[in-house]
Amino acid sequence: MGDFIERSKFSCALGGALSTIAAIPKAVPIVHASGGCAAALSGTYNLSAGYRGVGYCGGNMIPTSNISQSHIVFGGEEKLVGQIESTLKYIKGDIYVVVTGCQTEIIGDDAVSIAARYRDQNVIGVNTPGFLGNTLRGYDAILSALVKGIITKKEQKDPKTINLLGIVPGHDVFYRGNITYLTELLAKVGVKVNSFFGDGESVEKIKGYGDASLSIVLSETAGQLTAKQFETTHGIPFVTTELPIGPKASERFLRLVAEKLNIEKELVDQVVEAETKYFYSYLERIVDVAADLDFQRYVAAFTDSYYAYPIVDFVSEELGWIPHFVSINDIQDKKKQEAYAKKFEALTSRTKPQVIFEDKVGLAKKKLRASWPYNHNQKYYDALGPLYIIGSIVERDLANDYGAGFLTVAFPVSNRAVLNKGYAGFRGALSLVEDLLTNLVASR
Amino acid sequence: MPVKLNENLKYNFLAADEPPVRDERVGGCIAYCGSCSCLQGDFKSGCAQAQNRRFSQSGGCQLGLAVGIINSLTRAVTIIHSPLGCCSGLAGMAGVRKTSRLSRGLPVEEQTFIHTNMDELDVVSGGLDKLKRAIKYADEEYHPEVISIVNGCVPGIIGADIDAVVREMEPQISARLVPIHCEGFKSRFVSSGYDAANHGILKYLIRDPQEYPQLTEDAQIKYNFQKKYRTSRTVNIFNVGSNSNGDEVELSRLVSALGLIPRVVPLNSTVDDLDHLGEAALNVSICATHDDYLLGHLKERYGTEYLLDVLPIGINCTNTWIRKIAAHFHLEKEAERLIEQENRELREAIAPFVEELKGKKIFVGGGETRILTTADFYKSIGMELVGIKAHNLDRFVENLLNDIDDPNLTVEVAAGQPAEELNTLSKLKPDIYIGHAGANGWVTKLGIPNIPLFGAPINYMGYSGAFELARRAARALKNTNFSKNIGKHVGHPLTQEWMDLDPNDNIVQGSRF
Repeated sequence: MGDFIERSKFSCALGGALSTIAAIPKAVPIVHASGGCAAALSGTYNLSAGYRGVGYCGGNMIPTSNISQSHIVFGGEEKLVGQIESTLKYIKGDIYVVVTGCQTEIIGDDAVSIAARYRDQNVIGVNTPGFLGNTLRGYDAILSALVKGIITKKEQKDPKTINLLGIVPGHDVFYRGNITYLTELLAKVGVKVNSFFGDGESVEKIKGYGDASLSIVLSETAGQLTAKQFETTHGIPFVTTELPIGPKASERFLRLVAEKLNIEKELVDQVVEAETKYFYSYLERIVDVAADLDFQRYVAAFTDSYYAYPIVDFVSEELGWIPHFVSINDIQDKKKQEAYAKKFEALTSRTKPQVIFEDKVGLAKKKLRASWPYNHNQKYYDALGPLYIIGSIVERDLANDYGAGFLTVAFPVSNRAVLNKGYAGFRGALSLVEDLLTNLVASR
Repeated sequence: MPVKLNENLKYNFLAADEPPVRDERVGGCIAYCGSCSCLQGDFKSGCAQAQNRRFSQSGGCQLGLAVGIINSLTRAVTIIHSPLGCCSGLAGMAGVRKTSRLSRGLPVEEQTFIHTNMDELDVVSGGLDKLKRAIKYADEEYHPEVISIVNGCVPGIIGADIDAVVREMEPQISARLVPIHCEGFKSRFVSSGYDAANHGILKYLIRDPQEYPQLTEDAQIKYNFQKKYRTSRTVNIFNVGSNSNGDEVELSRLVSALGLIPRVVPLNSTVDDLDHLGEAALNVSICATHDDYLLGHLKERYGTEYLLDVLPIGINCTNTWIRKIAAHFHLEKEAERLIEQENRELREAIAPFVEELKGKKIFVGGGETRILTTADFYKSIGMELVGIKAHNLDRFVENLLNDIDDPNLTVEVAAGQPAEELNTLSKLKPDIYIGHAGANGWVTKLGIPNIPLFGAPINYMGYSGAFELARRAARALKNTNFSKNIGKHVGHPLTQEWMDLDPNDNIVQGSRF
């Protein structure tokens, strides 16, 4: 059972579902819930995810059954039927996803069965009440339903096609950019990516995802259920790894994919060499200023598990910054926490970070404070600085308190507008360096 | 003869744990598409109030509006007793709150909020243990003055008793605890959320002010006299979440110009400010839809007279607003002098914009009182009003509605429902649209230039607000390339069948709400 959360960096399952649907081209959600849920949840991802917008049919455009008092008593199924029928008539869509809110699930409306009656008109239903879990749970609910319900079974697999999972639209503010970078990178070793949300995707293409021979999940907490669904329904095995950021991580990523898909080593070697060269041909530009102005920083990261290790790994292994403190907010299971914390032992920095799991922001801040000896007003004090905080907008004031450099990477991000930017792969990492350093020179 | 807006409304609900929802207390219309003259008739007969719609889209939730009020208070922590989605929008709002407080010269505090994160187990158990721990945590970690507990749909449906938790915890907690009942499913009118928050403020937060005796008898007499005088000249201006500091400064300026003492409450207030709410000669609302519950109950408690019926938007309405306040203090002559000077200066200042805007077609959408007054302003400077769209319509705008002299004016009533609005707009083809947040994006996708009705940095009320209304509209028309491009390349998801429909065909009589 989850405890209470302070300044939650998640919305609910319905929020995650709506954010996921908004990322699928020409997908239309039909929300069976009270009137406010859809617009408010869609608004969360419009305003707190780098201003990604409400999408094709989001915000207050979302068809909703508008359940109120009397439906709570008498049931709202009839209202949903009318809503599905009129939506099919009035909203253009390649797929219609009926999703549910807390109210209708508590009273026992069977939205999924009702949706099933309209299966031939591209309607599917998914149970996504808020109390089911957080954003990530909603993402998995929608994708699992697509995997089970609309993706065609194929006996013949394409040995060079993979499904890319764990990149949660909106929750990963840079999801479009990250998908693009990884798709382009994998194309260089001849691998085709099924991404659900990337450039050029469509519902028609998604229906053909059954031909992949491997699913790659880039998160411990999202995409796992979907990957398992791919495994049971379509016999596609999966492997979990991290979002690769920077040359070393990207090389590991490529070699993992190559091993799983039997890609010849020479090709991977060539790509790694060329891409690393490309990365350093640009990184070279900041060498002078980084050295002259002494840009090495202590790093404290406050993110979910999807970004925590990849980001800390990058700043430690590529930039030579000092990983000091990592606060992760989305793993509750003790065993999983231990396993995740263990990853950081692989860092080659002499200092290994303190890794904590905390979803109460106030306590996370206290633990950062306690991670370093206090200043007792002695003459000489080895302070925690210069410090760079990488987190979400929630940590802005904390960064101010420490006089730290500050970059928002994890949700919520409300101080930046994000279009096609991403941090993944060899090339995305260059954007990350740009953003990290821009904040250090912004006042010059 | 215009009727008093809250005639026959009772303000005696504080004994109850929660206020009645607007559906029961006020009633009103949530769905209408037609001409103004038809609506005036249907509203009187009650037919308009019995309408609903077939194809419906997402509207608002009263929880958001209640939190908007209660979360603005100084040194307050809000606990959302619900799953994580309710109010998840707060995640990215820290900066907005900060800027809003900075603009008012208030101390900037980093405010936290807590979700009880109700899960499947809590749906069975009620999750009240978690809530208790959250209250304790908030009190111990932050020592706030107010801890509000906002009830979402899940505890609302399963009947989790947060009032009992508040009664149980009160002796152990130093902050003032306030339960807010604002479950979204309970009301079709988001404005119920205002009552929910105001109910909490009235019942749990306002306490008798601390009085400290003066050290000598002379000082006490002087103090008492000063206080009595101050109270007799004080005008409480009740702000709303959507008004900017610019609005508050402008309205305070106008009240000060009459020789009165303005005080802006209750948003952003401390509990101490709330305790002293009663020390005023007049309570003035700037939006009846927002405040009648609060002002009515304050009258019951302190006997303070109040003004509900004018929104100081545009020139005419601001004039009336000043006249009504002045009349209460017998300052009619002063008011006329002020109005005469302000009107003269303003008309000179907006002349160049009026020249630009004259004859241009405009459509206004948003909250009922705002749009009717805003529409009146744009009409008064020579623009052609082609239509209005209100979130809902209730008794608080009956007078404004009856004042509209264009019987064929298109009127839509819908909270959100951009499909109906885009349908109407595509037929009316206004040159410019002014509307509530959430609508403007869709209007852009239709290719129509637009400006937001209000916003944190926008001065909207009073004479300076009227100046800004004209200035902003004229600016928007200086270059309309953005909406043109978006309309051409992005578009909206509605089918041609819908766009060809008469939106009134989507409205049904007497369907179950």
